[in-house]
Amino acid sequence: MNTAREHSSSTLYANTGYGPGLAVLDFGDPNRVAVVEPDLAWWALVERHALGKALAGELLGDLRARADSFREEMEHLRFGLKPSAVYFNPTDRCNFNCSYCYLPEELRRNGKTMTPEEVCSALERLKSWFCGIMPAGARPQLIFHGSEPLMAKEAVFAGMERFRDDFIFGIQSNGMLLDDEAIAFLKDHGVGIGVSLDAPTADVANLTRRNWSGTGGFERVSEVIEKLASYPAFNVITTVTRGNVHTLPAMVDFYHERGIATVMFNPVRCTQQGGRDLKPSDRVLAERFCRALDRAHELYVETGRKLVVANFANVLAGIIGPTGRRLMCDISPCGGGRCFFAVSAQGDVFPCSEFIGFQEFKGGNLFRDDLSGILESAPFRAVTGRKVEKIVPCAGCAIRHFCGAPCPAEVKAVSGTLNAPSPYCGFYEEQVRYAFRVIAAQREDAYLWDGWRDETEETFNCMVSKQPPA
Amino acid sequence: MTKEPRIISYRRRCRNSAGTGLSHYILLTPETALK
Repeated sequence: MNTAREHSSSTLYANTGYGPGLAVLDFGDPNRVAVVEPDLAWWALVERHALGKALAGELLGDLRARADSFREEMEHLRFGLKPSAVYFNPTDRCNFNCSYCYLPEELRRNGKTMTPEEVCSALERLKSWFCGIMPAGARPQLIFHGSEPLMAKEAVFAGMERFRDDFIFGIQSNGMLLDDEAIAFLKDHGVGIGVSLDAPTADVANLTRRNWSGTGGFERVSEVIEKLASYPAFNVITTVTRGNVHTLPAMVDFYHERGIATVMFNPVRCTQQGGRDLKPSDRVLAERFCRALDRAHELYVETGRKLVVANFANVLAGIIGPTGRRLMCDISPCGGGRCFFAVSAQGDVFPCSEFIGFQEFKGGNLFRDDLSGILESAPFRAVTGRKVEKIVPCAGCAIRHFCGAPCPAEVKAVSGTLNAPSPYCGFYEEQVRYAFRVIAAQREDAYLWDGWRDETEETFNCMVSKQPPA
Repeated sequence: MTKEPRIISYRRRCRNSAGTGLSHYILLTPETALK
């Protein structure tokens, strides 16, 4: 009797018998379609008239030869990684009351703020735990996150000072407390800095991001952006809502003019009602987002200077090579609870900061419980076990490993279960289509961060050139 | 004149086998991302 492997090695056709299951995807190119093996996250862009040959032998030999290694690569990426980052909320409190915040208002108004001793005690515990799981010489990443972490500035800076050799630090701030002294301290300590701004004009930006009295932060944050633009470990997040989605192309000009290198246009998370109320439609979001990407490319061609839209760059990088992605939202299981986790101001540990508003996803407490046990707790396993294979329609989707059906926290809030598709399903489809158009035009360098080729190595290449005319 | 390939298919992998990107949607910079 022939074995499956023997059958497989003599495969002539896709989609029948032991042949690979290949999906054909139109990505908006007049001349080409994408052929995708979804489980392996393998793809080829094929001229439309050559599709028949591609599905009946031409590509199959190369794919068959590498299929096992691609499968192992996906298995390691999805299930074999260990934590190497922490999102750390040193305070529940915030000086802003943004309409879409993923944290409950009561926490942000009246919650706890850690003392310097508590922050240092927490970092000591984290340092000790990471020492046991990380390769020698590697440092975990620790991002002070919020709420507004600079509401606990004394504690945060004490932690950064004492543990500067033990962690790679970052801070995500609304920018309002980033005065010259704070900026100098953070730069001196090599801390990654992210700030938030939602539009290129005050009237739109201040609609969503404002303090408890209703005063917006546009002018102050714009000043901070000017001061930090040349700092290499700096980026800006724009949260995209139905109120600012129309400004995305202008936002590209705004950031590019100021010399910013990296931004993220993150669609508002639907974790809380405020976010759900502001969700833009997938159609409008995709159209404006793609127009913003077009504009970033135009500016790159005109000036030679890139503005990397990092959330799109990550989708593109994940298609070019699944392990080349930097962010772990758009893969399933996502990075929550397995590549990183979050610590609240009470020391409670959650799979991701997006879950901090959901007490049922608390895995334990950093000060009282063993971290390895927390990572094996039922709430963590619920998130780390969330796979697209369990979700309809994702299980049959050709791009399920380019999207990952994010984010579990907002999916839970919107659908009442983790096993449902992303509220932004259509937006992810359009990002993947745009990414294939970038690859077809061989413009990857224009959209990806500098150094992406050096960080990766080629493991497969099947570029078939046109036959010369007879 | 650039010759357009009839089929484009390639794949790359991160040189660091210990992992890829780490974090969720913030702080994507070469200086802070552990690769």
